[in-house]
Amino acid sequence: MKKPLAAAPALLLVIVALWEIVETVRATRSVPDDVAWERAAQIVRGRFHPGELIVFAPGWADPIGRLHLGDLIPVETAARMDDAKFGTIWELSIRGAHAPDVAGLHADWEVGGDVEVRRFHQAAVEVVDDVLEHLAELKSDGVKPTLELAEVGFAPHRCLQLEPPDHGVVTMTVPMELGSTLVGYVGLADVFKRRNIRTPGTLEIRVGAASRIVTFGVDDGWVRFELPTSPGPGVVTFLASAISHERLICFAAEARR
Amino acid sequence: MKPKHAGWLLAIVTVIGVVVLQRDVGIARDETVYFSAGKSYAAWWTGLVTFQHSPSSKGIDQTFGGALGGGANPEHPPLVKLASGLTHHWFYEELPILGEITAYRLPSAILHGVLVWLVFTFVLEVWGFAEALLGCACLILLPRALFHAGLDCFDAPIMTLWFATLFAYWRCLDGRKWPWQVGVAWGLALATKHTALLLPFAIAIHYAVIAWRARDPLHRWRVAVAMAIGGPLVLFVLWPWLWLDPIGHIRAWLQFHLTHVHYNFEYLGHNWNAPPFPWHVALVTTLFTVPTATLAAAATGFGVWLARWRAGARDPRAPVLLLVVSAAASIGPFFLGSTPIFGAEKHWMPILPTLCIAAGVGGVWAARRLASWIPTRIALGIVGGAITLAAATEVWASHPYALTWYSALAGGAPGGADLGMNRQFWGVAARGVLADLPRLGNGPVYAHDASPAWHWYAQLGLLPGGYNDSGPEVSGVAASKEALVIHELHFNRHDYLIWKAYNSVRPALVLRSAGVPIVSVYARPAPP
Repeated sequence: MKKPLAAAPALLLVIVALWEIVETVRATRSVPDDVAWERAAQIVRGRFHPGELIVFAPGWADPIGRLHLGDLIPVETAARMDDAKFGTIWELSIRGAHAPDVAGLHADWEVGGDVEVRRFHQAAVEVVDDVLEHLAELKSDGVKPTLELAEVGFAPHRCLQLEPPDHGVVTMTVPMELGSTLVGYVGLADVFKRRNIRTPGTLEIRVGAASRIVTFGVDDGWVRFELPTSPGPGVVTFLASAISHERLICFAAEARR
Repeated sequence: MKPKHAGWLLAIVTVIGVVVLQRDVGIARDETVYFSAGKSYAAWWTGLVTFQHSPSSKGIDQTFGGALGGGANPEHPPLVKLASGLTHHWFYEELPILGEITAYRLPSAILHGVLVWLVFTFVLEVWGFAEALLGCACLILLPRALFHAGLDCFDAPIMTLWFATLFAYWRCLDGRKWPWQVGVAWGLALATKHTALLLPFAIAIHYAVIAWRARDPLHRWRVAVAMAIGGPLVLFVLWPWLWLDPIGHIRAWLQFHLTHVHYNFEYLGHNWNAPPFPWHVALVTTLFTVPTATLAAAATGFGVWLARWRAGARDPRAPVLLLVVSAAASIGPFFLGSTPIFGAEKHWMPILPTLCIAAGVGGVWAARRLASWIPTRIALGIVGGAITLAAATEVWASHPYALTWYSALAGGAPGGADLGMNRQFWGVAARGVLADLPRLGNGPVYAHDASPAWHWYAQLGLLPGGYNDSGPEVSGVAASKEALVIHELHFNRHDYLIWKAYNSVRPALVLRSAGVPIVSVYARPAPP
């Protein structure tokens, strides 16, 4: 007598196998090719203006995106502190992904396709001054930072980088034109130093009466800080410290209106 | 043809398949170390057995010693290196019938064939022909294992010699007077990779159970003695470095691995380079790197074994228990959260024979239940054929960048990238851009993680003259006209070094596997 249930395990195995064959073939073709990317790139080129930001999603598609539109992305933009000063952000995405830069924004224009193109607008912050522009005037009681394009949290960031002495503090003062707020980021550069030495770094920021102390560990990436400031000329003090050697402290800050 | 001859045929097909496929695979950075070590080990042994030199302390130290992590690669035992040095000498230098890299990789390929033969023979004896055939098909068509078997490294060979030890132990439980085979097999495993030290844990548990079942604590005691004496003895004989200071050098060898640096490894979107690691790394990685149909059949097989055990079926030599404790001993340390996870599934590959045997048992059991509907042979053909075809499709999708590949369960290579699974390691993928370098630029190349393999590529004629390795890190990028980045999360910083030096973020070429970037090539822009 034929027992229907007896056939179930074999049928299930065959169904799983057939699904795997189809899914494997589909997966190999699920990423758009260069033709689709170039088509999307041409759409962006037709409407792009210098000073706008182009991002790609998911993150692993970034090299492909830069292959097609990298000439529109200056190194300084790719290694930006954050995206707040960009009024227009172009997102090229595949597989339904979205870049973190456009989280919470609504596209005002988009073109579908294998590579989706979306344009976002946001109220851009006005940058009054940038600490990275003041390296020459920066005074330090210890090692002087250098301007670097560093890896922090596996992302590129232009920053002032220094290595405080073991259990030491380096105090740096920078004359800046201030706005109503000072926004900055800090983190530990160099994945191998983060691996080999697991202690955090600390950055204290003082502007007038306001101060912030930021402690950032090896897995914290690019950590944001913000202080209220009074518009006009001022002095910002950064105190970088670490309890062990080889902490590459990397920071950036902008005075914003 | 007798059923057992099918095992030989499968083994030969496996060796040929591995040899053919590895020709498309780039050179792994670790291989370059093993090539040179193997060549000098082989020359030393050849000189010794032809009485050209005596085993002097100085000669042994120069050939096998030096600093651990450098020197003559004393941190890894010599068997596979020696074998690859010998096959290189025989089949490339003396009788040039193979390419140079293929000659070095031949022992690993042969050992993979041996594994298939061993598994076939074991399963044929315990479960039957159909189970053996399907189990071996699943084993041959494991994309990552097939990839590793094509490298001159230790990960596929230790899988073979691990299973060979199990097989020898299991055979030696027949009551023979001189069960030396298990000692020799374990010794060969020890001489292949330190993970063989986990085998006694599996065997001890199995031995305790069958001794308890036999109500005899000294049941088959000669097997234990053979293993305890034979294993270390074979290791000692094969590893001249131990001749100088057996205790000290064994201590140094093990200490090196117990305190091994944690290489960077991406898992579920996070770069891991320090413990504690997630407990589920081994579980999830295995789910994503074994073909899904094979896993489903294996789950069925485990269910069949459990049902039969609950029904009271007991084999005096407990083969299922042996397979299960073997897998547990191999993968168990990776659940601790402290064992290095870099290399992922290659470090617990000895579980794969267990999985594939279970798949063979499960697939055949399911097919046989169709007997009331269709003839058993046809049912076996449909079920076994479907499982095999699914695995073959995964192999097709994985080649030649199997370290970037993930199974259908993960969504293939793109799905693996979405999930933040490790992209690759060892710099193997650089091979895929070599032919494009002359088209993109002219001059020294920042070879990144492929740097150790660069002179090999030049020697093999894969690189034209003038495309030398420009050197490491910042100075290498500064001196380069073209620059490679082999994509792994922790290698992002190499992109940034190049952006700064070339003042451009635009690569000239992005090599992809199933659409996923694996190598970017930058060309230095012409001065304005």
